[in-house]
Amino acid sequence: MRDQLREIIEYIKRKEIDYADGRYVESKTESITIKDGRLENLARNEGRGVGIRVLHNGCWGFASGSLIGSRDLKRLADKAIGIARASAVTRKAPATLAPVEPFQDAYFSPAEINPFTVPLDEKIDLLMRVDQALHRQPKVKVTESSMDFYRTEKIFCSTEDALIEQTIIESGAGYEATAVENGEAQKRSYPNSHRGDFRCAGYEFIKWLDLPGNAERVADEAAALLSAPPCPVTKADVVITGDQMALQVHESCGHPVELDRVLGTEISLAGGSFMTTDKLGNLKYGSNIVNIVQDATIPYALGSFGYDDEGVKASRTDIIRNGLFVGYLTSRETAKIVNAPPNGAMRADGWHSIPLIRMTNINLEPGNAGLDDLIADTKDGILLSTNKSWSIDDKRLNFQFGVEIAWQIKDGKITTMYKNPVYTGITPEFWNSCDAICSRDHWRIWGLPSCGKGEPMQSAHVAHGTSPARFRDIQVGVSR
Amino acid sequence: MIGRDKIVGLLKEVISKSRADSTEAVFTGTDYGLTRYANSYIHQNVADQNSNVAFKVAIDKKIGVAATNIFEKEALARACNDAIEIAERALPLPYFKGFARSAKYKRFNTYFDITADVTPARRAGAVKRICTKAERKGLIASGALSTSASEIAVVNSNGVAVYQPNTSCSINIIISSEDSSGYAQGLHRRFDKIDFSALADKALGKCLAARNPIELEPGKYDVVLEPVAVANLLEWLTFIAFTADPYHEKTSFLSGKRGKRVGVSGLSIYDDGLDTRGIAFPFDFEGVPKKRVFFIRNGLGGGPVHSLLTAAKYKTKTTGHGTPPGWSGGPVPLNVHVAPGKVPLARMMSSVRRGILVTRFHYINGFLDTPKALLTGMTRDGTFLVENGKVISGVKNLRFTESMVRAFGNIQGISKETDLVDTWWSDVGCISAPAMLIKDFNFSGKTEF
Repeated sequence: MRDQLREIIEYIKRKEIDYADGRYVESKTESITIKDGRLENLARNEGRGVGIRVLHNGCWGFASGSLIGSRDLKRLADKAIGIARASAVTRKAPATLAPVEPFQDAYFSPAEINPFTVPLDEKIDLLMRVDQALHRQPKVKVTESSMDFYRTEKIFCSTEDALIEQTIIESGAGYEATAVENGEAQKRSYPNSHRGDFRCAGYEFIKWLDLPGNAERVADEAAALLSAPPCPVTKADVVITGDQMALQVHESCGHPVELDRVLGTEISLAGGSFMTTDKLGNLKYGSNIVNIVQDATIPYALGSFGYDDEGVKASRTDIIRNGLFVGYLTSRETAKIVNAPPNGAMRADGWHSIPLIRMTNINLEPGNAGLDDLIADTKDGILLSTNKSWSIDDKRLNFQFGVEIAWQIKDGKITTMYKNPVYTGITPEFWNSCDAICSRDHWRIWGLPSCGKGEPMQSAHVAHGTSPARFRDIQVGVSR
Repeated sequence: MIGRDKIVGLLKEVISKSRADSTEAVFTGTDYGLTRYANSYIHQNVADQNSNVAFKVAIDKKIGVAATNIFEKEALARACNDAIEIAERALPLPYFKGFARSAKYKRFNTYFDITADVTPARRAGAVKRICTKAERKGLIASGALSTSASEIAVVNSNGVAVYQPNTSCSINIIISSEDSSGYAQGLHRRFDKIDFSALADKALGKCLAARNPIELEPGKYDVVLEPVAVANLLEWLTFIAFTADPYHEKTSFLSGKRGKRVGVSGLSIYDDGLDTRGIAFPFDFEGVPKKRVFFIRNGLGGGPVHSLLTAAKYKTKTTGHGTPPGWSGGPVPLNVHVAPGKVPLARMMSSVRRGILVTRFHYINGFLDTPKALLTGMTRDGTFLVENGKVISGVKNLRFTESMVRAFGNIQGISKETDLVDTWWSDVGCISAPAMLIKDFNFSGKTEF
C-alpha cells in the first residue's frame, strides 16, 4: 500500500496544488461486554481505507474512501482537489503551513502481549469472574464488564516527501456495579467509569489492572451508597482523586487549549474557548503549583504516538507553567498564528476523517503532597472520586461534574460517605484555588477512549496524567 | 450507491454458505459530504464514501459478530467465518430466540436524487450566501451543511431481505457578534426543502436581539423551550429512559410507571419510525418493521423500545428498534416525536409574565440521577428574558439542573408548531419537537457570557 500511496501523492503533485497528504489506515477492533452474567456483545471489526487532504490556493479539500485500487485513489485525489476548489468561494486569508521536517520513519507502540492472540476463553473467563464477584453483593442488580482492543496501522505520505508508518496497539477494560433499591440507583466503577482505563499496551495491561481484586469493594460501595446521606449543598475544600482529576483536566484545560476551537472552527458543534490568543502568556490560569503539559511521548499512555496525522513528531510542550497559560495544542496551520512550532496534535480517528487538533496526553504534573498528609491537613472538606457526569459551557468556563462517591473529611479524617456528589465552578477561579497536588507516588495516566469532537463526530483516544489535588472553597451540590 | 440487487445478492450468497445455525448481515453504505464554515469562510470541506457489513451469527444460542468495510465476496466470507469462530467460543445467551422472520414492511420513499446529487460546489454556494448575510450586518457566520446518500440492507437466513436507500440534508447556523449569538437549524431528506435563507435570517435575528446581554441570577424561572431545546433534553432520555434495559433495571424514570402519571395530561412522547413527517425509516437493524411506542401518553407512563434480544430477555415482543450488530447499547428510539399542542407559539409566549426563552442547550448530561431523570446543561446561542409576553433582552448563559419528571409535571403549554431536529443518526431518524412552556425550571448556575 505504501507504493500506491506514494504514487497517488506524486499524481497530486502534478496538479499544481500547495500541499497534499494521504493516509492509509487499517484498523482492527475487538469488543467484549458481559452484562449480568451474560455475554451480551462479542464483536470484531476490521476496516481500511484512504483519506486524501489537499491544500489548493489556500483552501482545504478532503476526500476519503474504502476502495483502494489505483483508479479509485485517482478518483479520490481528483475529488479532494475539486472540493478544495469549491471551498474557494468564501476564501479569506489563505491557509498556509508551518514548516516541519519531512520524516521518513516507522513507529511501533510498546505491547508485550498481542491482545488479539489471547484466547477469547481467557478474556471471557476473566470478565465472568468479575461479574460473579460483583453479584455476590445482593443489592447490586446490574453489572457490566468489558474489554476493548484496537490495532491501527497507518501510512502517512505527503507532497513534502514525508513517509511515516505506525502501528499502535491499545487495550482497555473496566466494570461497573449498579445497586438498585426503592427507586434509587447507585453506581461504582473500576478502574474508572466509562468502560474503564485504556493504554497503548497489550494484554499485559489487562492483567496489571487486577480486575477481580477490586470487585468486592466496588460492589459494596455501590450498595452502601444507597443508604448514604446526600452530599450537602455547601462551599467546601475538596480533595479530588486522580480519576476525576483526569476528566477535570480534560474538560477545563485540554479542550480549551485546542487552537482550532480557540480560533472559532469548532463553533458549530463543541463551541469556542475562553483561552483566546490575547491571553497567551498573560492569563493566570491556576495557582503557582499548577503545571500542565501536553506530552505525546510517554510510553504506554493512550495519547502517545510517533507522529501526528500531518507528520509532526510527537512532542512534550508546556500548556500551563507555574499557573501561567503559556501554550496551545496546535496544527501546522494554526501554529503559525501564535508563532510557535507545531506540537503534533493533529489527529484523525480513521482514514475517513480529516485530522483535527486533538488532545494527546494532557497531564497535570505531580506536586509534593502525600495523600494521607493532604487528608490529615484538611480540617473540613469533601473527598470526591470517580466521574459520573460532566458538563461545561461552550467557552469552557462554567463546569459541573457529578462523581460516583464522596466522603466527608473532618479534622483530617475521612468520615461519612455521601451519595450524588456534584461540584461546580468557573475554570480559572477553580484552578487558582488549587493549593496542593499529590506527588508522583500518587500520579497515574488515565486513558479516555472516547473524546468527541468535530463534524462529522470523531472519537479520539487521549490520556491524562494526574494525582489527587486539593481545591479551596468550591461549590459542592446543586440547589434545586 | 451500490444498489439493492448487488447488495442483497452478495449478502444472500455469503449467508447461504454460512455453517452457523442462523446468520444475519447488515449492510450500511454512505456517500457523505460536509461543508463546515466558521469566521464566515469554509474551513473544512470533506467527502467520504464507505460501506460496512456486519455479520451476526448464532450457533447453539451463542452469538458472534464480525464486520468488514471491504464489500467483496472473499472479504465478506472471511468476516462471516470470523463471526462463526467468535460464536463458537462465546457463551450461550439462553433467552436468544433467533433472528427476524420475513414480514410486511410499509413502503415509502426516503431517497431523493436532488439531495444525492448535491455537489461540494453547491454546498459551498449555500454557505457563501449565509456568510454574506452575516457579513452585511457586521456579524460572523459559523456552522455545517451536510448531505448524504446512504443504503441500508438487512439479510438473514430466515428469508429477510430488506433494503432502503436514503438521503438526508442537515444544516446548522450560528451567527455571532462580540457579545451574542443566534442559532437555527434545518433537516430534511430533500435538499430543496430547506430554506437556507430563512434559517440564516432566523439565526441572525436572534444574534441581534441577544446583544448586550444582561446577567440573571440562578433560580427558578418559567421557561419557553424552543423545539431544539426540547429535543436536546429528549436526546438524553432516549438513552437513559426510553429503552429496554434502563426500564427493566429500574434506572429509568419510567420504570414501574406504566399507566401512572409522569407528566401533564397534554404530554405525549412516542417513537414512530413510520411517520413520514419525520425522518422515517421502515425497519430496524434486525430487519423488523418499526412499530409506534408511547413512552408517555396523555401524561401517563408507557413502555420502552425493544430489539429482538431485549424482547426475549424481558419476555415481550420486539418493537422494531434493534441497533446494528456490535452496538452494545441495546435498542434505541431513533424517531422520537412529541405530540404538538394546540397553542401557537406566539400565544404561548404572550402568556409569560416573566421567564426565559431558551433557543438550545449545550453539553447536557443525564447521568446525575437517572431514576429522577436529573439533567444538567448550559443554555447557548440565544437566551432571552421575557416579560409580559415580550422578549426584553438577551441573557448571559445559564446552567440548568432539573429533573425531567418535575419539568414534565410543570408543563404549562405545548406549541402547535414542531421542528425536525437533527441528531447523530439523522439518516434514519430525528426528533420532532414542539416548543414548551414550563414553570419553575431550575437554573443552578451562570457563566460569564
